[in-house]
Amino acid sequence: MTKSQNTGTRFSRESQLLDPVARFAKLKGFCLQTAELPFYEYRIDLYGFSSERNVTIAVELKLADWRRALDQAMLYQLCSDLVYIAMPEKSAKKVNMTELRDNRVGLIAVLESGACSCVIKALEHDEVRECYRSAQIDFLKDNASA
Amino acid sequence: MPDLSPQVILRLGAHSEKEYIEKTIQYFDGVIVGANLLEATPGATASLVFKLYGKGKRPYFIDPMTYAFGAYEDPSSGEMRTDLDWIKSEQKVRGGKKGETKRDFKSSYRKLSIAFGTPFSEALERAVAVNESDLSTERAVDGACKSVLDYQETRLQRVFREDKEAAPFADDLPSPAVLFAPYFYIEKTHAEELIRLNHALGLSSTRQSKKIPVHIVLCANRGLLTDARLSNRVIGNLKDCTPAGVWLWFSRFDEHLASKDELTAMRWWVEQLAPSMAVFNMHGSFFSLALSKVGMSGIAHGVGYGEQKNVVPVIGQSTPTVQYYVRSLHTKYSVPIIERSFSALGIETSDDFLSKVCDCLVCREIIGPNLNAFAQFGEIHYSTPISKRAAQTPAAAKRCRFHYLLNRFKEREYVRNASLADIAKGCDSVADEWSKTLVSGEIAHLKRWAKVLKSS
Repeated sequence: MTKSQNTGTRFSRESQLLDPVARFAKLKGFCLQTAELPFYEYRIDLYGFSSERNVTIAVELKLADWRRALDQAMLYQLCSDLVYIAMPEKSAKKVNMTELRDNRVGLIAVLESGACSCVIKALEHDEVRECYRSAQIDFLKDNASA
Repeated sequence: MPDLSPQVILRLGAHSEKEYIEKTIQYFDGVIVGANLLEATPGATASLVFKLYGKGKRPYFIDPMTYAFGAYEDPSSGEMRTDLDWIKSEQKVRGGKKGETKRDFKSSYRKLSIAFGTPFSEALERAVAVNESDLSTERAVDGACKSVLDYQETRLQRVFREDKEAAPFADDLPSPAVLFAPYFYIEKTHAEELIRLNHALGLSSTRQSKKIPVHIVLCANRGLLTDARLSNRVIGNLKDCTPAGVWLWFSRFDEHLASKDELTAMRWWVEQLAPSMAVFNMHGSFFSLALSKVGMSGIAHGVGYGEQKNVVPVIGQSTPTVQYYVRSLHTKYSVPIIERSFSALGIETSDDFLSKVCDCLVCREIIGPNLNAFAQFGEIHYSTPISKRAAQTPAAAKRCRFHYLLNRFKEREYVRNASLADIAKGCDSVADEWSKTLVSGEIAHLKRWAKVLKSS
């Protein structure tokens, strides 16, 4: 989450997407959250858990490269019930929606105002491995901010 | 076009890797050790070689690493440097203030330069790389070759003789399988001179050693591979030297990322040289192994991959994760990428995995009846309480390395028994099979390899 680039929006670093997306996820009930959660050699930009619904969410933040984001999002399906890509609104418009839908990956557009809009709803899938999922939830419970 | 039974030589990069070599050497064809490592740990290296030889008469090779005393390309700027800085490190100042350090030559290279003598020792004294003018006379070239060849032939015995307990076994230590002529990196800005210099070193070495076969290392920038004019010149020079073998090392040439033109050139080099001498790839992968069908005699690589090598290592990078090697794809991927591919490949049980991905001893033991145990190849932890990043556990890295070595053995056996057409067809079909998985973006090498292997 350190790359800086010109996206033609106020967002030039992926890290700038974190706060708006974290607030959005919290509003949706994913109150237990952590950023940069390790998953093998990767780091999940935002991982959350809704204890009420017993559902986890993983979000990959990207400024522009949606295809790379999709590859990572698909990996995170191993440990999360719902997986989203979050991008600046301008970049989100260029995403191939069909590919995301086919893979049950959701899309969040981050507006210039800092508000977020759910463009595609992530769907639950069969890739999740309970061992990974429960380990991440345990980690969240021990370390995350609520 | 000779069809050879390819050899795989393991390169010992550090003594921490000796366990891998000791436990798997029975499957391979020898071990190669850098002379800098030999100088850093002479006793341990000599004992290891002795032990390996005792186990199955596996031959050993000593890479004299003479290129380290020449000019080099700065990996960060791409500029040529003659200050030998890359063989220096920060070292404690004896008698200095607490924590005081100075940048000085690593003791292993310093010892090596003394063992080799002129012009290597002088280069270190003046802190300027060996250049063509240092070796401008026949006498100077002959002297340098003699000392580098003698070093390889006698160093291990001398290590044993200097040790009271080991001395009685000194004569039982075999000589290295071959002696390498001294060699320098052929960088593009001074290619002509360096080709000339390497030619002179090759000629002198082959003339001097009669007992043990002499091999030449061609260590060059990647551009030379596809430079028709220079390639022809070098190939002519190599044939002129009449060595028993040549070891190709094109810096930064990674067979997985190489273009079709580069791979085609590699094949051409092998076809040109193989009728006259044994051809090895100093840091090769499956592609080079497959080239045994057109004359490649073998490859060398490390125990944790090392299937390509830059002449000057990039310093300051964190320890890379040892990834999981997929034999059918002939390359490595991160554990979750493989795991996420299971559904697309129809892998639901451990039996499915063993039949479709790998059934080596390591995989059988780790996975057993529980497919989820595959995760153990990628286990991570925080190595210290203050670590900011989780890293692969040493145990997971070990599993990946042993799995890789067993699979390399299987690949060698496969190549020995398959035809070139079968190997190419295999690359093609497995690429199609895995194209529906998450690795689809990282299997382009298979299609390129297939094309180059198929071409006649």
